[in-house]
Amino acid sequence: MNYNWDWRVFFKPTGIGNEIYLDWFVTGLGWTIALALSAWVIALLLGSLLGVMRTLPGRYAARIAGAYVELFRNVPLLVQLFVWYFIVPDWLPEPLEDWFKQDLHPAISAFISVTICLGLFTAARVCEQVRTGIQALPRGQAMAAYALGLSLPQVYRQVLLPQAFRIIIPPLTSEFLNVFKNSSVASLIGLMELLAQTKQTAEFTANLFEAFTLATLIYFTLNMGLMLFMRWVEKRVRVPGLIALGGK
Amino acid sequence: MIRFSQVNKWYDREHHVLKHISLEVKAGEVVVVCGPSGSGKSTLIRTINQLEPVEEGEIWIGDVQVNNPRTNINRVRENVGFVFQHFNLYPHLSVLENITLAPMQVKKLSRAAAEERAIALLIKVGLAHKKDAYPANLSGGQQQRVAIARGLAMEPKVMLFDEPTSALDPEMIGEVLKVMQDLAESGMTMMVVTHEMGFAREVADRVLFLDHGEILEDTTPEAFFTNPQHDRARQFLKQVLAPMHG
Ligand SMILES: Nc1ncnc2c1ncn2[C@@H]1O[C@H](COP(=O)(O)OP(=O)(O)OP(=O)(O)O)[C@@H](O)[C@H]1O
Ligand SMILES: [Mg+2]
Repeated sequence: MNYNWDWRVFFKPTGIGNEIYLDWFVTGLGWTIALALSAWVIALLLGSLLGVMRTLPGRYAARIAGAYVELFRNVPLLVQLFVWYFIVPDWLPEPLEDWFKQDLHPAISAFISVTICLGLFTAARVCEQVRTGIQALPRGQAMAAYALGLSLPQVYRQVLLPQAFRIIIPPLTSEFLNVFKNSSVASLIGLMELLAQTKQTAEFTANLFEAFTLATLIYFTLNMGLMLFMRWVEKRVRVPGLIALGGK
Repeated sequence: MIRFSQVNKWYDREHHVLKHISLEVKAGEVVVVCGPSGSGKSTLIRTINQLEPVEEGEIWIGDVQVNNPRTNINRVRENVGFVFQHFNLYPHLSVLENITLAPMQVKKLSRAAAEERAIALLIKVGLAHKKDAYPANLSGGQQQRVAIARGLAMEPKVMLFDEPTSALDPEMIGEVLKVMQDLAESGMTMMVVTHEMGFAREVADRVLFLDHGEILEDTTPEAFFTNPQHDRARQFLKQVLAPMHG
């Protein structure tokens, strides 16, 4: 194959304003990070709540959380995204629907849809990790805490969750990385995150390989950075005698 | 102080694990509970702070019926220390934090007050120098002494022990029994599941012998060791005492 690599392409003007192609990647990376972080916050909070519910003594809480997990884990992410973007807004009360569809910048409404979609999807996965973490602890831990008069919320807050989260840091890290990967579905509803910007650069310049190589490098660096960050977190909170569960 | 009246408990509705238990432990009394494996000793002692519920009968601590649904069980548990066979210290907390957790969370003590109390207890069990260690870095005997201090930090009226020395290496049993003996001499009401017959003989006011969920003997250590009334108690004694003479 005869392909002329030309790395200077990223510094060429796009013809739109004063931008060069590299600016597109920067903008795209910004969207990707904003999406992933906001979705992760939702996933972590909701997923922890659901994970706790799955381990509660009563039946109803566990069932509700179980049903949630089944639903959100088994429907493909893309289908969920289309539901959040194309269908759910129609169910909103009229003023809200108009606001979402007309007043909001299209990028913002797409951003909101993807964040909710990815957050709720990932929450189901976080839920299962949190549940596994709690159930991996010896039964005596909760028993000793109850025996001292701690209430159920105190037992979770003070004894079970601090231990469970420590041992699930490795699998949580892979979920965190998955959020970044999965955030690329946003390109399908026109949000110009990293993948979308890459495709657009490829189309505008015909330098397809350079564009995707750069995107790969950015995703890779992002992943490495996050992984190192999570390792650092894991080390900081490590205590003797609590062994982390295996990743994946 | 502790009173059982006609208590019955079943596991899974068919396994009758506690049968017509009636007994009373007076304030300041030390009662040792022994019996063969599976006879219901752990179950019995756990019903006192309702770590195990019971289906029939009444259990009272002082003037509070603990198995009454209207009783706030957390308030009862504050007053009942429980020491487990496997210590169950919180691995993510230091020794000091293990002891201060419940006083701060449940009794709303300030950190300073809780730590002061914790250190006084650690001195009592001989582990003040380990206050910043994590449980995983302590020996079994040290962990169990911290667990006792943790229970005492709530200033309980009653201390319950479920085989506190059976998970320990032999050379560490003595240090834990010593702490328990000091506690008994300080006037604490104690119920102790144990096979340490030396402890029963020297420290206990009474010995209960449990078999198949029934209390077969409820008597003084003296009478229990010299003149057990039931065949099964005699067999049990032969088994647990044999290695000591062998
Ligand atoms: N949670 C449970 N569910 C069902 N059966 C149980 C449960 N816990 C204990 N049992 C059964 O009840 C009986 C009494 O158990 P328990 O633990 O009270 O005996 P134990 O006297 O403490 O025995 P050990 O000396 O082995 O500790 C045993 O037959 C045991 O198998
Ligand atoms: Mg037992």
